[in-house]
Amino acid sequence: MSEQKVVKAKWLFDMVSDKPIEDGAVIFQSGVITFSGNYEKIKNKIQPDAKIYDFKDKIIIPGMVDCHTHHNGFGDGRSGDDVGLIPDDVLAIKSAKNAKTSLYSGVTTIRENGPKNMTMMRLRDAVNGGLTIAPRMVLCGRPISIIGGHMGYFGGEVTGEDESLALARQLIKEGADYFKITATGGSTATSFPLRPSFSKSELFAVTNEAKNYDMLTATHCLSTEGTDYSLDAGVDMIIHCNFDLPNGESKFDPKLTEKIVKKDAYVNPTLHVGRARVWSLMEGKDAALGGFENKRLNSISITKDRKNILDARLDMAKYGLETKLDHCRQMIDMGVKVITGSDSSWGDYALGNTVHETELLVEAGYSNMEGLKSVTINAAKALGLENQVGSIEVGKSADLAILDKNPIEDIKNLNSVTEVFFMGQSIRRGSEDSNNSYIQKSPQI
Amino acid sequence: MDKINNDMLVIQVGELIDGISSESKKNISIVISGNSIVDIKPTGELSIPSDLDHKLIDYSDKTILPGLVDSHVHLTGIGDGRSGDELSTLPDEVLSINMANNAKKHLHSGVTTVRDCGAKNDTAFHLRTAAEMGIIDTPRLVLSGRPLAIIGGHLSYFGEQITGVNECRAAVRYLIKQGADFIKVTASGGSTKTSFPLKPSFSQQELNVIVEEAHKFGKHVAAHCHNSEAMVRSLNAGVDTIIHGVFKEPDGTNKYREDITELMLEKNTYVNPTLGPGMMRVQVMENKKQQGNFSEFDQEEMDQILFEHEYRMKCFSKMHESGVPMSAGSDSAWGAYEMGNFFLDIEGHVIGGQTPMQAIQSATSIASKSCWIDDSLGSIETGKLADLIVLDESPINQIENLRTVSEVIKNGEFVDRNNLL
Repeated sequence: MSEQKVVKAKWLFDMVSDKPIEDGAVIFQSGVITFSGNYEKIKNKIQPDAKIYDFKDKIIIPGMVDCHTHHNGFGDGRSGDDVGLIPDDVLAIKSAKNAKTSLYSGVTTIRENGPKNMTMMRLRDAVNGGLTIAPRMVLCGRPISIIGGHMGYFGGEVTGEDESLALARQLIKEGADYFKITATGGSTATSFPLRPSFSKSELFAVTNEAKNYDMLTATHCLSTEGTDYSLDAGVDMIIHCNFDLPNGESKFDPKLTEKIVKKDAYVNPTLHVGRARVWSLMEGKDAALGGFENKRLNSISITKDRKNILDARLDMAKYGLETKLDHCRQMIDMGVKVITGSDSSWGDYALGNTVHETELLVEAGYSNMEGLKSVTINAAKALGLENQVGSIEVGKSADLAILDKNPIEDIKNLNSVTEVFFMGQSIRRGSEDSNNSYIQKSPQI
Repeated sequence: MDKINNDMLVIQVGELIDGISSESKKNISIVISGNSIVDIKPTGELSIPSDLDHKLIDYSDKTILPGLVDSHVHLTGIGDGRSGDELSTLPDEVLSINMANNAKKHLHSGVTTVRDCGAKNDTAFHLRTAAEMGIIDTPRLVLSGRPLAIIGGHLSYFGEQITGVNECRAAVRYLIKQGADFIKVTASGGSTKTSFPLKPSFSQQELNVIVEEAHKFGKHVAAHCHNSEAMVRSLNAGVDTIIHGVFKEPDGTNKYREDITELMLEKNTYVNPTLGPGMMRVQVMENKKQQGNFSEFDQEEMDQILFEHEYRMKCFSKMHESGVPMSAGSDSAWGAYEMGNFFLDIEGHVIGGQTPMQAIQSATSIASKSCWIDDSLGSIETGKLADLIVLDESPINQIENLRTVSEVIKNGEFVDRNNLL
């Protein structure tokens, strides 16, 4: 057995109790939690030679779980189409850096939603070879897409049940933990966001294979119809869950929402990726967006005046965000299991800022405690990892984040991470400057 | 002092080792504007206009050196003792991630420029792309991309096996098209399992064409030579750096050849003696011995390592005394030599007979000359790029003090040595 370690602090959010535990402590050994609770009650379990980390008036939470990441991405406004053009070696280097960013920001488990080719599998190889560090990674390999469909440029384009099944098997062979399918178009220039992409039978080909291996599935859905198809096929998580109609209108659908609840599917609404776009536009940043959005904007622009185009884009982004917030509010009201999945680094949203998404879930109706659950225990449940991570319980991995400020007072305090433990190891996070370098903030305008 | 701009850094330093002068200078002020050194004066003589915006840094108890130039690295290496044959079986993306981490480690240790002497496929060029995109911070990169090798030759597993003058010419052109700054050629076999270290690999004609084609485009050539005949061919072809420079006869006997040294001097060739790996090997064996459990077999291996290391040191001394310019280059992270330990190679130069000042120059101005970058790097002079390192202790009397790096300045900016991203 390796050395016993003890982490103690003023407040412990174990995500089992409804309230934080005062004067909390977590005891772990060989990376696994052996005791946790009030310090006085468990201090007799501490061995004389244990290593004690006393964080005094700080706060312990479980390492955060982000259900939706793009470690290939830049978060500087560039389109996925542009990311797809970058060589795999370069994307692997970027992913390795992003993975450290995730870990240092307190996110100890991620589910990757769309990397190019083998890049994330290779990052996993590098981690297993001891060459670099990364959070616990739940990988899809690459997204399953139709020809020209959303993220087809990442290398997973298939047609028909046989090819869909074959790709699913190939991804399993490469080490995939779950399947990500783009069930509708998206920002990808050649895709159609308002239409479903795969037929139901193609979706079934993948979900059936997933069931065979107890694997989960998640579909990217912007169109209402795409969500409907996905639910029929038994998909476990609906991503984005926009209620977009073929005419471009976005209209909340209570019946479909009931179906989501009945099917017990999780929803990852990805609210902040829209707000990140709003923030960029407010700062006058207008990255050369490729893809559908640009096409749509070019078609509605009646002026070549840059200021007006920027304004039009900002209006559109704000309207989109408000709509999504409203729809999310209604989904939460109706009892949909909504969890945190940041979608960073997609678009303007950079990794290391997962808390922004949780913050918007609170704005959409969650209490601060529910927000915290959405990025810990409930996110872990959505990934089928609730036996390993997401709460501070005996037998789970010693993944902890230490906060300066209390998230129960303000969910934004989740960004006050000062220390991270991953699988029982205290992670060296480096200089303060380097950890400030990835933080994105609301523009002060 | 002329007013240049308002983004100026003035460093007052107790001791300056400029990389060229044979003596260090005391109490010097270095003025940096943007990414360049614009003035160097004794501290008392520098007058700064009172209205000039500038930042003053006091290092009066420290020593400043040019940023180190490691003229031989393999950023692709892992340094855990695995062979190149094994290393090359890793996927390119994994090697790329490793290269990025290695580049950072070397930079943080005080190496501001590296000459990479060979990586697999396009990984070296892709590392540069990642650096240019601002994803990672690296030392300045002087790249060869893939080394040129004969079929089965040393480093041939990195993807450039060629035969005949036409393929040699094409390979040089293609590497330059991809962005190679120099050409690395393995003129003899080496550790590669399918190669023959005691035999030259490329023919004289092939080497001639490689050098001719590289020089035509203003690129230099560095040749891996593990035996005397490979050195003779390389020197006749006009290569610019002899790497390793091992004097060995085809039957494996060690024989120093004065005529080769004379040819080096005549051709004005640099030698990168790579003493670091030997230093590292000896250190690894000594550590093993201290830990106990040292078998007869281990002792035999250690004796062999010491024998070869001492012979290499002896040849180094002779070449150095004859006036051949020695370019320090660690060869890390090849074999068991981890990145970030360039100082060990430089210490080897002192053990081999150089003064600490000469050894420092071999890792700064001479290394930059051998890399053909001395117009802008390798010394602290007005007009050069502002790559500097700050040491807590002076290395003038004790070369081991190169290990006391406390700050690294690259391109006029302080490197955050505690950035672990």
